[in-house]
Amino acid sequence: MTHWLTSTNHKTIGILYMLTTFVFFLIAGVLSLVIRLQLAAPGQNVVGAHAYNQIFTLHGTAMIFLVIAPFAFGLGNYLVPLQIGAPDMAYPRLNLLGVYLFMLSGLTIFAGIFAQGGAADAGWTAYAPLSTVQEGSGGGQDLWVIGILLNSIATITVGINFTATILLYRAPGMTMWRMPIFTWEILATALLILMAFPSLAAAMFELLLSRHYGAHFFDPRFGGNVVLYQHLFWFFGHPEVYVMILPYFGVISEVVAVFSGKPLYGYVGMVLSAFAIAGLSMGVWAHHMFTTGAVANAFFSGMSFLIAVPTGVKYWNWIGTMWRGRLRLTTAMLFAIGFLCNFLIGGITGVMVASPPIDYQVEDSYFLISHFHYTLGGGALFAVFAAIYYWCPKMFGVKLNELLGKINFWLMFVGFNVTFIPWFFMGIEGMPRRVYTYAATGDLPWLNAVSSVGAGIMALGVIAFVLNVVMSKIESKVAQPLPDDPWGDSFTLEWATSCPPPEFNFHALPPIRSERPVWDLHHPELAARRT
Amino acid sequence: MHPASLQARDLSGVWYIFGGAALFVAVFVYALIFYCLARWRARGADGGMPPQFDRNPQLEITGVVIPLIIVTGLFYITYVREGVVDFLRPGPYATVNVTAYRWSWQFRYAGHPIVVNGTTQNPPSLVLPVGKMTQINLYSDDVVHAFWIPAFLFKRDANPGLPSSFDVTPTRVGVFQGVCAEYCGFDHALMTFGVRVVPVDVYDRWIASGGRTAI
Repeated sequence: MTHWLTSTNHKTIGILYMLTTFVFFLIAGVLSLVIRLQLAAPGQNVVGAHAYNQIFTLHGTAMIFLVIAPFAFGLGNYLVPLQIGAPDMAYPRLNLLGVYLFMLSGLTIFAGIFAQGGAADAGWTAYAPLSTVQEGSGGGQDLWVIGILLNSIATITVGINFTATILLYRAPGMTMWRMPIFTWEILATALLILMAFPSLAAAMFELLLSRHYGAHFFDPRFGGNVVLYQHLFWFFGHPEVYVMILPYFGVISEVVAVFSGKPLYGYVGMVLSAFAIAGLSMGVWAHHMFTTGAVANAFFSGMSFLIAVPTGVKYWNWIGTMWRGRLRLTTAMLFAIGFLCNFLIGGITGVMVASPPIDYQVEDSYFLISHFHYTLGGGALFAVFAAIYYWCPKMFGVKLNELLGKINFWLMFVGFNVTFIPWFFMGIEGMPRRVYTYAATGDLPWLNAVSSVGAGIMALGVIAFVLNVVMSKIESKVAQPLPDDPWGDSFTLEWATSCPPPEFNFHALPPIRSERPVWDLHHPELAARRT
Repeated sequence: MHPASLQARDLSGVWYIFGGAALFVAVFVYALIFYCLARWRARGADGGMPPQFDRNPQLEITGVVIPLIIVTGLFYITYVREGVVDFLRPGPYATVNVTAYRWSWQFRYAGHPIVVNGTTQNPPSLVLPVGKMTQINLYSDDVVHAFWIPAFLFKRDANPGLPSSFDVTPTRVGVFQGVCAEYCGFDHALMTFGVRVVPVDVYDRWIASGGRTAI
């Protein structure tokens, strides 16, 4: 136990991140089930308005700040040094500080439950002046602001550490253009963190000063501006969307390539598209503000459309990778294909909402939240599971059961789509987000009922996963120890060391002559011809 | 989609074009993914090593150019239609000053002594003349709200300290639902209002009576 909390080893810290996010994922999942129970029929009273407002605030906050993004930090922490042949991260003690601050931020936010007036209830976006007025939840909102402030500092340490590690700690032979695609995507993510998160820290600090020290940043009666908060928040918030997806583009690229038995198609294009997405994402923030009537809609709309181009490149290349391959449909590969199917809907509807004439109808409606659940739930979260199934043997020396894995995948895939397809229609019909009840008119009652059934199916999928972890752990006690490369034909350096790797990762490194050193090692005759 | 205003008709045109483009792209990409799965799924243990190609510059550039053409077209349509909808035309038939507050709405008819104050329990009704342009001036008393009438395919935020205006020209007589779309605290869910679109003579009589005749 002490080892787990004091070790500065990147693998221990990575696992600490991932385990913590999994706990918050289960909590946020239970909260979402309460939401779906409340909305299963109109006029229900499973929870009251005040409780409901806290529940969706905590669900959104947890999924964004405590699950999807930090899982990628944990995965990156574990994998990046291994993939570039380094013994550890550049700043191990800063790394430990980061994970402490991250865990503290989660505890601080959830401690609001015990505050007078309950937890924060201003939504995960905490728009001013709703979040600066001193009523409803007082202490809970303060704890939320402080928690997010801690979270932003923790995340900035992650950005610094990844950037330094990737630029300075690569093994001999590991040139930039031989780096695994996952490491490239983490580098783009890290740079994005360094540009975006200071703005979040500033926004939180200004909220804190406004709430307690009479700083009227957002109060028009004193010359403040309510739209200023939205600029500060979304200047962070839109790059954050890509902080939550670029690492998972990396995961999907690795998994699809390995289980297609082919090198990643269009490697250079994949790298350039990651940086194009990161760059463009810094100039699209006000597309969250089309309906304010106070931003240059055409500019932000045009910039947002452009992001579809590098994202299209990624799809093109994933399909090119599968083309004429030998597709092994392992659970990891199924989750990757599930990602491709779901994220496509998220991306296409993303282009729709980037058009102000469409956004005027769907902004802040169920259509919009279905769009981003398709990118972050059906996209990022499915990639989380792909990553777990693919790298679990490396991290724990345990291969998860494939049959239970497939049950896990199909329940989640069917459950996800049954939950979220109805939301598009609910949004077009006029259901706003963040409402604890709705009128029993039109199609809303049955669409909501279907969605709630879907949420139940998804929950069964998560239960299948937990069952799988327990069963596989028990099975592994009697099984043979795993070889270095349990998948048989993997590409990157983490598969050139034991499962799990020793303290400082490698006893010896294979020669690094391409972005697939382990594959080259297994196929020396072909590797020689390629280079 | 049954647009109930002139502006909504313009907006729905964008919906149809984007919907068509979305369907086209989705069908194309899903077809490629499922073709790969059906054709090259590994069956059994053997099968040998697949060809190790990993690039094709011509094809990769095509993959950049095609999406670029699609989004350029979509941007052009967006740009043209948005200008039409956002433009404030002079000489509205009626002007209504709408103030949002937690958790209801106030409607003041400019030039007439009519003030409708709603409460959370008794949501107010907005009366609009059919076929005539009404300018809405939007205000907020406390936090950020958003004025949304789904049948008009349009919403606009009500920001405290930052008034905002837009036009609406209803094309169908009837009763529609309006809601607050921007989360504003405790009873956000109940911050609704009715929209009664009536013939012009009925509207005129209603205005002349100081808002007292029943509609």
